[in-house]
Amino acid sequence: MKSKLNRFAIPYVVWMALFVVTPILLMVIYAFSSVDGGFTLDNFTSMGEYLPVFTRSFKLAIIATLICLLMGYPMAYFMAKEGPRFQRVAMALIMLPMWMNFLLRTYAWMSILENNGLINQLLGALGILDALGTDHVQLIRTQAAVVLGMVYNYLPFMILPIYSVIVKLDHSLLEAARDLGANSLNVFRKVIFPLSIPAIISGVTMVFVPSVSTFAISRLLGGGEELMLGDLIEQQFLGGAYDPYLGAAISMVMMVIVVVCMVLMNHFGEGEEQAVML
Amino acid sequence: MKKQNSIGSRLLIALVFLFLYAPILLLIIFSFNAGDSSVVWRGFSLDWYGKLFQNRLIMESVYMTLLVSILATAISTIAGTFAAIGLYSLKRRWRSPLMTVSNIPTVNADIVTGVSMCLLFGVFFMGWSSFAGWFNAQELSLLGHILQLPERLTMGFTTLLLAHIAFDIPYVILNVAPKLRQMDKNLIDAAQDLGCTWMQAFWKVILPEIKPGVVSGALIAFTMSVDDFVISYFTAGSSTSTLAMTIYGMTKKRVSPEINAVSTLLFVTVLVLLILSNVLEARQEKLAEMRSEMKPVAQRKPILPPVFRKSWLRRMVAGVCAVSLLLVVAALSHVTGSRPVVNVCSWGEYIDEALITQFEEETGIRVNYQTAESNETLYSLLKSGGGDYDVVVPSDYMISQLIEEDMLTELDYSLIPNFDLVDAQFRNLPYDPENKYTVPYAWGTLGIIYNENMIEDEITSWSAMFDPKYAGKVMLINNSRDALGIALLYLGYSVNTTNEAQIREAYQLLADATNKGVYAGKIMDEVFQVMEGGNAAMATYYAGDYLSMLENNEDLRFVIPEEGSNWFVDAMCILKDARHPAEAHAWINFIASTDAALANMDYIWYGTANREAIEQYPEYYLENYGEELDQETFDIIQTPPEVLERCEMYLVLPKETRDLYKSLWIKLGV
Repeated sequence: MKSKLNRFAIPYVVWMALFVVTPILLMVIYAFSSVDGGFTLDNFTSMGEYLPVFTRSFKLAIIATLICLLMGYPMAYFMAKEGPRFQRVAMALIMLPMWMNFLLRTYAWMSILENNGLINQLLGALGILDALGTDHVQLIRTQAAVVLGMVYNYLPFMILPIYSVIVKLDHSLLEAARDLGANSLNVFRKVIFPLSIPAIISGVTMVFVPSVSTFAISRLLGGGEELMLGDLIEQQFLGGAYDPYLGAAISMVMMVIVVVCMVLMNHFGEGEEQAVML
Repeated sequence: MKKQNSIGSRLLIALVFLFLYAPILLLIIFSFNAGDSSVVWRGFSLDWYGKLFQNRLIMESVYMTLLVSILATAISTIAGTFAAIGLYSLKRRWRSPLMTVSNIPTVNADIVTGVSMCLLFGVFFMGWSSFAGWFNAQELSLLGHILQLPERLTMGFTTLLLAHIAFDIPYVILNVAPKLRQMDKNLIDAAQDLGCTWMQAFWKVILPEIKPGVVSGALIAFTMSVDDFVISYFTAGSSTSTLAMTIYGMTKKRVSPEINAVSTLLFVTVLVLLILSNVLEARQEKLAEMRSEMKPVAQRKPILPPVFRKSWLRRMVAGVCAVSLLLVVAALSHVTGSRPVVNVCSWGEYIDEALITQFEEETGIRVNYQTAESNETLYSLLKSGGGDYDVVVPSDYMISQLIEEDMLTELDYSLIPNFDLVDAQFRNLPYDPENKYTVPYAWGTLGIIYNENMIEDEITSWSAMFDPKYAGKVMLINNSRDALGIALLYLGYSVNTTNEAQIREAYQLLADATNKGVYAGKIMDEVFQVMEGGNAAMATYYAGDYLSMLENNEDLRFVIPEEGSNWFVDAMCILKDARHPAEAHAWINFIASTDAALANMDYIWYGTANREAIEQYPEYYLENYGEELDQETFDIIQTPPEVLERCEMYLVLPKETRDLYKSLWIKLGV
């Protein structure tokens, strides 16, 4: 007798059809529709105008992802070498800000970076501003501020997967490598690093996807001047330029790009399910 | 590998933690600040904590966040666990494609998930409204007499909860699935062969095996729900606001320092929970270690206190927990329900909030007061099914557009006796020629606000807004109508021109100035923070708001440039199919009263249309402040006729021109 447990799948399949598949189908339909309901490709052809937004979003997201990797990998690596108690506390400390809201974390930077903010006040008090001959250093409302916001918010997503792979590495492998005469650099290069590639890939996707699609960070720290893909989509739905058809088209393009990235990434790494898990 | 780390690597770890925690520490420190600055320390105080608990907006959004997160976590943990079991009992051929579909929300960018959900709800509402319209029209059907279906649905708590469940379930499945894979499938068969029903097989065999996965799944689902902003933003509509959405709304205006206090409380709660769980875990591990050293493994006993070993007691405790959870949820939803309500949408910093309390006390009607950023945003909100409002306060040209699209309802002026007090000057204006839809709320002018300390010249012309001399010091207003409007004014054209060449010329002016780096940013209500804090030298904004800023920064000046400007009337209207029409009329009548008009005028510094209030204001001012109202201030509030002559009201533009505005505006941002 085959178990009847598979009947539990039926409600979920219905649910998925309603809340996962239908919304995406609707998005595709909207992307190819015009206001009067007819079929059109205008939403895509007019997208050329927004090319600078695409390039800006990708540029900033890639920079942020690289910085996260450069900060996150050594962090995860060194953490994994500490004692178990230290590790437990460190992990908790990395997770902790995630329970505060994402917006609170971003807001925290606003008062620091403002023209009259903490850093500028500090520079002023130290006489550095006078030396530079300005009344402030422009920190907020720059692309750098947006990248900073992304790195700050998404760095844990890079550290966690890499850490969890490195900490579980089979020690006998490392010992074997050392016994066979590898120095520590080679152990890292030939053993540890290749084994952590799937984790790097999942970290990279987990940082890159939210970065490239953010709109709150660019709005709060970029001052509305550094329009990004997320802002463009938000404007079409709840912002100042109501046009869900164009918004759906841009969202669709973004989804396709993300899927292509994922497929490419999965091509490199084998861990399909670890890749999306924390 | 187990070698200790060098000082260098320790330093790196310390630096990363410093980076992660410095901003949070600052929030915490400044939550104890006596002043309202997030930069300057003015001494220790607990004021903000006291104010926090009186701030209804923040407290309600904290409740809402908790309510949604708890409910979504509970539902998606149960549903996700069953779904995972179901999926894993399927043949591989079916399982893999279904798992791929299931993972879509975890892989997609949040904004794509949010937007597609927003579309789903929008389409459903449209379908529903035509169905309800048809259903209600069926006079003959028996049901039609008993049951009237609401025709206009909007996004709110239900859609928010559905969206949260939808993105939480995949995370639960992803956590439960590996445990199921590790489990020996024959166990289930064996259990059933031995006479278990599938229900018993589930409770006795499967659940104990996958428990750790279920727990971690629930934990991650909760984390995702609490941390989410983007998906909530697109699915919550206007009347439901999570903490993240409230903060986002606030960052557009003045962030009140209560936010620092909320952050601190949240941080401390989470910290305490984490420490507790870590200590418990560590102790359990230690106990387990000790036991396993002393006794053979087989005899290891659960570490629970002895009483808990009795299963009926454990079940009772679980039952009590579940019931109390339900009670909490019921209590939380009660806070937001039951009383008569009116949903109002207005602009930021645009009401004396004491009036809301006064109205609630007098009538017992709860006011759900929200703000939108600009007329265009309000329009988007209404169109996308997110605007669950009864009363809106759009400006003139937007009112025309809403009337044109049949989105407003005709007012019942017999319920608004205070309309008689509206001065003739403010009746039958072009946006509502027969005055069937509107009661004026306030009016004002657009002008340039500048900081005397940062700009040496006296500003008299719109040219200042485009002058490379002020590069990096100017803030452009962040809505297409006003921004293109000032460019048109400077060029000497009408703000209502439909001539494409003129509009393109105006756009070019803005684009050139943008390329020359004149604008440090595009802002709406952020202007309060930016100008008061001296973070920019010049901005275009509204007269009344200038006076509010002046209270906090004396160096600011306001000018209506010589080329003339725009004057606007914001008027209260009731949306078609509003759910609380009676309450809406009561609110409008209350706001139109002389007392409310006086209080409001004094608070927001915008002109009023109430004849009595205009006459009484100087006296009111003298009484309240003990000094004469100076003419200059009064002229900014109630712009005198000779200045108004230079000003033009916005009229609704034809569709083609609106589309042109829209595309040019986006192009400017690109």
